[in-house]
Amino acid sequence: MEQEILSVAETSERILTGKMLLLAGEEKLLIQLPEGNWIGGTTPYFIIHGEEAITSRESIFVTDISEISTGMTIEVYDLNQLQTVYQDGCDSTFSFLIIPGMTEIHKGFALCAPSYKKFGARPLIGWVSGVHLDDAGMMIPKVFNGLTGGREEQRAVVMHVTLTDGKTADVGIVNLFEQGDGDILSFACDGFFCHEVEVNGKKENFAAYIKRKNLDTRLPLVADYYGAMVNISFQDVDQETGEVGFYAPVFRGVRYRHARIVADYGQILASQFKSSNLSRKNVLFSCNCILNFTYGTLDGKNTGPFVGPISFGEIAYQLLNQTLVYLQVHDA
Amino acid sequence: MKIPPQSAPQWVDIVTGKRIYNLNFLAAKILLGRLVMTVKDNPSQENIEDAVELLHQLYTYNCKTPTVSQDIKTIFGQG
Repeated sequence: MEQEILSVAETSERILTGKMLLLAGEEKLLIQLPEGNWIGGTTPYFIIHGEEAITSRESIFVTDISEISTGMTIEVYDLNQLQTVYQDGCDSTFSFLIIPGMTEIHKGFALCAPSYKKFGARPLIGWVSGVHLDDAGMMIPKVFNGLTGGREEQRAVVMHVTLTDGKTADVGIVNLFEQGDGDILSFACDGFFCHEVEVNGKKENFAAYIKRKNLDTRLPLVADYYGAMVNISFQDVDQETGEVGFYAPVFRGVRYRHARIVADYGQILASQFKSSNLSRKNVLFSCNCILNFTYGTLDGKNTGPFVGPISFGEIAYQLLNQTLVYLQVHDA
Repeated sequence: MKIPPQSAPQWVDIVTGKRIYNLNFLAAKILLGRLVMTVKDNPSQENIEDAVELLHQLYTYNCKTPTVSQDIKTIFGQG
């Protein structure tokens, strides 16, 4: 497994030798690549070995999975087709999904993935593409099917990967946040927006509640999914209309609390390394949320073996926010 | 890893929230986050059986995964 930051020419060379690649980079770079065994998505932000976050408009982040893979298929899905993502790919070991950000398929996956047939039948990991923050509103997030050279604005791309005999894969997450000690918050329906929240069972306008409690909306809401902390990040709060927007949907009946930051991120990572035997040798892929960088939560922090694209949404079976996700390869 | 049969009572204990285990398999935690809530809202026999079937299938699909093996040992105390 190799993870490197390469030029267009270097990446093209790898593609032409038949390598199986997962790519991240700006659209103007990815469109120059030859057809081959790769998929990609747009972002100019990366974490690379030995450095903190970088922005590069001239380089591509390349994850080469050729050495540990015996085969792959690439499929492009619209929102309706994506429902079968866990049923497709036959005998593949895991599936790698890239979704173009701020699209209907992004929202649809976020809302419906937990209900997909055969949920979790194999590891599903991936990320949501985006654009340089300076280009927001001018450029559109894309994903690429390397087999055809096709680029997609409204459809997702999936690589179903078969690992070599004796290898298996598992998805993990590292969350900087945990539930705080505050009110229990719940919502009447699933969605990316809401006006009302139930605070300890009592209805209230959520924007007014946020103002009254002076909540720091850089910190997400956190739900406890049987011990897995799942974040819902705030997108905006409109005090005039009373509407609150999120980067991932809240779900009816789930009990959320406003987050507190876990004090020592380094300690969390160290604990993860110890308990999971994580290293550069067995972490095949990882990505981390752009909000963890724009909000400064990870400034100056060593992320160990976790390198990869900085994403606009993370996928570990379902859409996550403000979370590091990774795929670990084991001997079966 | 051999997954114990769907009829094992531990599966019911999990989806009804009667027993809470410290699990490692991420997909199971995400699924259980919803299943336990669904069963709590409507603890009918049919709902419980549906939840057990989904959870058992998930572990069966992923029986070669190390975190699944760890969970099965945690729940059933077997190797």
